Amino acid sequence: MNVIEVRGLTKVYGNVVAVDNISFDVRKGEVFSLLGPNGAGKTTTVEIIEGIRKPTKGEIKVFGGKVERAKEKIGVLPQEFQSMERLTVRETLEYFSSFYKKSMDIEELIEMVGLTEKKNTLYKNLSGGQKRALGVAIALVNDPSLIFLDEPTTGLDPAARRNLWKAIRKLKEGRKTVFLTTHYMEEAEYLADRVAIMHHGKIIAIDEPYKLIEKYGEKTRVIIKKIDSEEEMEINDEREIAKIIEKLKEKGIKYERIEIKRPTLEDVFLKLTGEGLT
Amino acid sequence: MRAKAIIGDIKASVKNWYRNKAALFWTLAFPILLILLFGEIFSGGNESYTIYIKDMDDSTLSHALINAMNNISIINLQPIGKNADVKEYAKKHAVLEIPHDFQNAIFEGKRCNLTLYLDPSKEQTNSAIRSFISGIVNEINLRFNNASIIVGYEEKYVVEEQFKYIDFFIPGIIGMTIMTSAIYGSIEINVKYRKRGMLKKLLTTPLQKGEWILSKMIYQLMISFISTIAIIAVGITVFHLKASFNFTSILIIIAASFAFTGIGMIIARFVNEEETADSAASAITFPMMFLAGTFFPLEIMPSFLQIVAKILPLYYVNEGLRNAMIYHDGNAAMLNAVVIATFAIIVFGIGVVLTNWKEE
Ligand SMILES: Nc1ncnc2c1ncn2[C@@H]1O[C@H](COP(=O)(O)OP(=O)(O)O)[C@@H](O)[C@H]1O
Ligand SMILES: [Mg+2]
Repeated sequence: MNVIEVRGLTKVYGNVVAVDNISFDVRKGEVFSLLGPNGAGKTTTVEIIEGIRKPTKGEIKVFGGKVERAKEKIGVLPQEFQSMERLTVRETLEYFSSFYKKSMDIEELIEMVGLTEKKNTLYKNLSGGQKRALGVAIALVNDPSLIFLDEPTTGLDPAARRNLWKAIRKLKEGRKTVFLTTHYMEEAEYLADRVAIMHHGKIIAIDEPYKLIEKYGEKTRVIIKKIDSEEEMEINDEREIAKIIEKLKEKGIKYERIEIKRPTLEDVFLKLTGEGLT
Repeated sequence: MRAKAIIGDIKASVKNWYRNKAALFWTLAFPILLILLFGEIFSGGNESYTIYIKDMDDSTLSHALINAMNNISIINLQPIGKNADVKEYAKKHAVLEIPHDFQNAIFEGKRCNLTLYLDPSKEQTNSAIRSFISGIVNEINLRFNNASIIVGYEEKYVVEEQFKYIDFFIPGIIGMTIMTSAIYGSIEINVKYRKRGMLKKLLTTPLQKGEWILSKMIYQLMISFISTIAIIAVGITVFHLKASFNFTSILIIIAASFAFTGIGMIIARFVNEEETADSAASAITFPMMFLAGTFFPLEIMPSFLQIVAKILPLYYVNEGLRNAMIYHDGNAAMLNAVVIATFAIIVFGIGVVLTNWKEE
């Protein structure tokens, strides 16, 4: 079943075509990621779906109808969202929960995004990562079945990013649908069930990450570092690695280490656009 | 309209306000500082404690009382005739009237009262004089009647009140504070919240724009009343302000809050940057503050500026509050209230229509 259906969506600003006739579906229970560099049109797309901006053209259905009717069932973290400065973590969540009929247990929610120790800290005194984690918690306060996260980890240090990823992963276990935009390919690779690659307002590829890599990526390379030289080979199937190691043993070849270079979504993007992601 | 969402939003705004030192400063400390500073400068020092004495008894005992009072060095007694018009004299200095049965009453152990005529606008002097007189009354009772109370004293205020600078000033400060806190508050909410993605976020929740605007208005009114009460409290305790907080003044405060919030909303619609919005707010509030007769009466300004003042909403707020709270000119106050309320309905209506959470 499709939670979101987008057909022929276009958004034009003056002479900039921010979103160029895109169509896609988001399925129930999946983490769907819109991946693309800055300016690709991700925020424009997601904010049109959320009902924040008006499309120039196109049709959008959320839960089979208008998003305005689904407000109780969706949770949104806008890009660069900042909450009220002088409310504590707990007060902030209580504030947003007052808008909804249904509300999650606040303590549980705080625990889930790892802010238990900070629950009585004012928003303005939180670190960047903690603010973003709270932003995710706010998006979850009404126990929504569809969650939009626009660049949830941009600007965070790697540790904070990992923590937030873990929290988002838990959502999948809770069978929630997540619409995630990002320009970090690791993020899409780590979190997404399906990825739509966006470039200059167009979706240029859409599939499960490993399938995209299989289709557009280079082959996996195995590099054997010997004492004084190195040997590199391409493989089609990672199971071949075991055979390679066996052979090395048979021949009694000494080696320092073996490196495996797998293609990434970055390579897919490069292949499709001729440009880097960031 | 759902009470839960509105109350939730008001609670959050109030918390965010009282934890904000800058907001507390501008809404409470700043107006109070202004009053203390200007009130002290323009109120001037006290005259000597001159008391007119009107002796209706003209007896041995009444002369003895006058003599005793003359011995108090800070009091300067000036007798006035039995037929003198107390009210005229009392405009200048306090008048103490000794009743015609003063001596008899004391000898016969009957009760009698000295009457003290005071000008209500000279409260600082009055309280000093009041304490002298009550000291003297106690003394008489102690000497003649073994402390059982026979001689009392009552106070009468002369009817025509004289107004001091502080009476003029405090309603102006209230008007100014409501104006600045409503305009800046409304800009803060509309521009800052837009910048921070807060309006976008709200748009995706079931909170309705109407609920949100209502909540912010109730919040803004609460701030206006807190400021007003604080200012009046300081006025009463420090300057013995005689202000009445009546229906018309409440109406004016409510209308003013709506009007200035509406102005803020309109500014916020056209200016997206926080700094620009702040400058736009200053460009409106500062000239209005000085031109609308907040600090000085319009009469001392050139006549073309007096005409300018009359097109400024703050002028009607200031005048209205003065008429309602201090001068007790109900009709004039109501007229001012109607002007502001009409303006408020128009401006606030435009503000609501222009307030847009959607992005382009
Ligand atoms: N409000 C706007 N007015 C004009 N141009 C805009 C507006 N919002 C976005 N754009 C333009 O649309 C394009 C896509 O922007 P955006 O959706 O924010 O991309 P992303 O989120 O992928 O970084 C950019 O070229 C951007 O400059
Ligand atoms: Mg974006």
